[in-house]
Amino acid sequence: MADVINVSVNLEAFSQAISAIQALRSSVSRVFDCLKDGMRNKETLEGREKAFIAHFQDNLHSVNRDLNELERLSNLVGKPSENHPLHNSGLLSLDPVQDKTPLYSQLLQAYKWSNKLQYHAGLASGLLNQQSLKRSANQMGVSAKRRPKAQPTTLVLPPQYVDDVINRIDRMFPEMSIHLSRPNGTSAMLLVTLGKVLKVIVVMRSLFIDRTIVKGYNENVYTEDGKVSILESCVFLDVTDHATTALLHYQLPQMPDVVVRSFMTWLRSYIKLFQAPCQRCGKFLQDGLPPTWRDFRTLEAFHDTCRQ
Amino acid sequence: MGDCVSQMPVAEGKSVQQTVELLTRKLEMLGAEKQGTFCVDCETYHTAASTLGSQGQTGKLMYVMHNSEYPLSCFALFENGPCLIADTNFDVLMVKLKGFFQSAKASKIETRGTRYQYCDFLVKVGTVTMGPSARGISVEVEYGPCVVASDCWSLLLEFLQSFLGSHTPGAPAVFGNRHDAVYGPADTMVQYMELFNKIRKQQQVPVAGIR
Repeated sequence: MADVINVSVNLEAFSQAISAIQALRSSVSRVFDCLKDGMRNKETLEGREKAFIAHFQDNLHSVNRDLNELERLSNLVGKPSENHPLHNSGLLSLDPVQDKTPLYSQLLQAYKWSNKLQYHAGLASGLLNQQSLKRSANQMGVSAKRRPKAQPTTLVLPPQYVDDVINRIDRMFPEMSIHLSRPNGTSAMLLVTLGKVLKVIVVMRSLFIDRTIVKGYNENVYTEDGKVSILESCVFLDVTDHATTALLHYQLPQMPDVVVRSFMTWLRSYIKLFQAPCQRCGKFLQDGLPPTWRDFRTLEAFHDTCRQ
Repeated sequence: MGDCVSQMPVAEGKSVQQTVELLTRKLEMLGAEKQGTFCVDCETYHTAASTLGSQGQTGKLMYVMHNSEYPLSCFALFENGPCLIADTNFDVLMVKLKGFFQSAKASKIETRGTRYQYCDFLVKVGTVTMGPSARGISVEVEYGPCVVASDCWSLLLEFLQSFLGSHTPGAPAVFGNRHDAVYGPADTMVQYMELFNKIRKQQQVPVAGIR
């Protein structure tokens, strides 16, 4: 399996390099043998010393030669890691026990499948948008002559673009502030503070929202060692569940910035979490909880049990 | 952190103890869980006569309070003035300040009782005692998640109505003073101080009355 992938490896140079390593090893062990044996028996002391030094120098020269040979060959062999499609996880392909743990081949298949799926989904959404179900004329896909271009994959967006989008959204609402950080790699982590009511941690994957955690204003976001701490109060556990529902509801694969904007607008309706009564039953409390559900379209407050 | 401290008047024909039991039974029916006990006490000091100026100002009263919710702190407050949150060593400091602040006689008043937790609400029902006699009942409701005082008053009111019925109090003064300010433990102690003062002024056997 490994041979098929590492095409750029010069196999001839590779085998020569392996034998060069063996030659280098033997010349190094010769050096140490010579040192161990010490001086040979000759007539005079100088004669012994000279013979010893000459022998030692010969061995060191041969080590030097072999090392240079090895370096030259290693430059010819080429870098196999450049061709690994999955960067570091490609090192999984070096596992010799392929039939018991076929991790690498499964990984490759999974990635190929998801990329193909996204490509097809993009094409399909372009085609479907042309046949608009709404009667009102909008600028999207009215003319039949327009063909959808193959959209660039929105999963790989430059971080600068993500930063710009988030900054623009930050300026949209005065009572909501968004702070962006990238603690682990390229995925952005947003800390959204909504007035003095709550704080939300939003983990993103390029411009798609992956996960949200809602915490109270006075709860600590980080534990002592810098990790995100777990929740404590009932209300915010509920709101976290609803936020997860919301991020699943607002989906538009082609325009992820619109998705983030609508999610933030929905989140902003929580500024009146403790002040708004439920639109259905008119009360504030139900089982000790305020209305934690916000309708996705009208942004009205409902109790969790009142919403259907 | 939004908090409301109020006094529950004793029902006619019943003793303090029985009213407390009534309340706790109502709470347990609501679904609250018992979570231990609490204690809030208050001592009064007045400024010593020697420190008063020649103009003859009236001495100010200072209250030193403790709350079992914050076991490592001590609160010192004036009637309409600032509230100091200090270490428990403050009590020792007061002994050293005997020249400036003198303890009023028989002034220690305290409330003791049980804590209940219902969802995010923390309810404390306690008997207020001054010396050996029980003078009244205090009820404190704290709503954890909300940090701004004025936001959650309607929520608190609804909750209070569910188990206090007709004895629900009006909005505490601290809520009106500071809109959008973050509520803190000092505000709770101010409310307790006002409650204790009110109970002190009442008769020995409290009649059912409004807050």
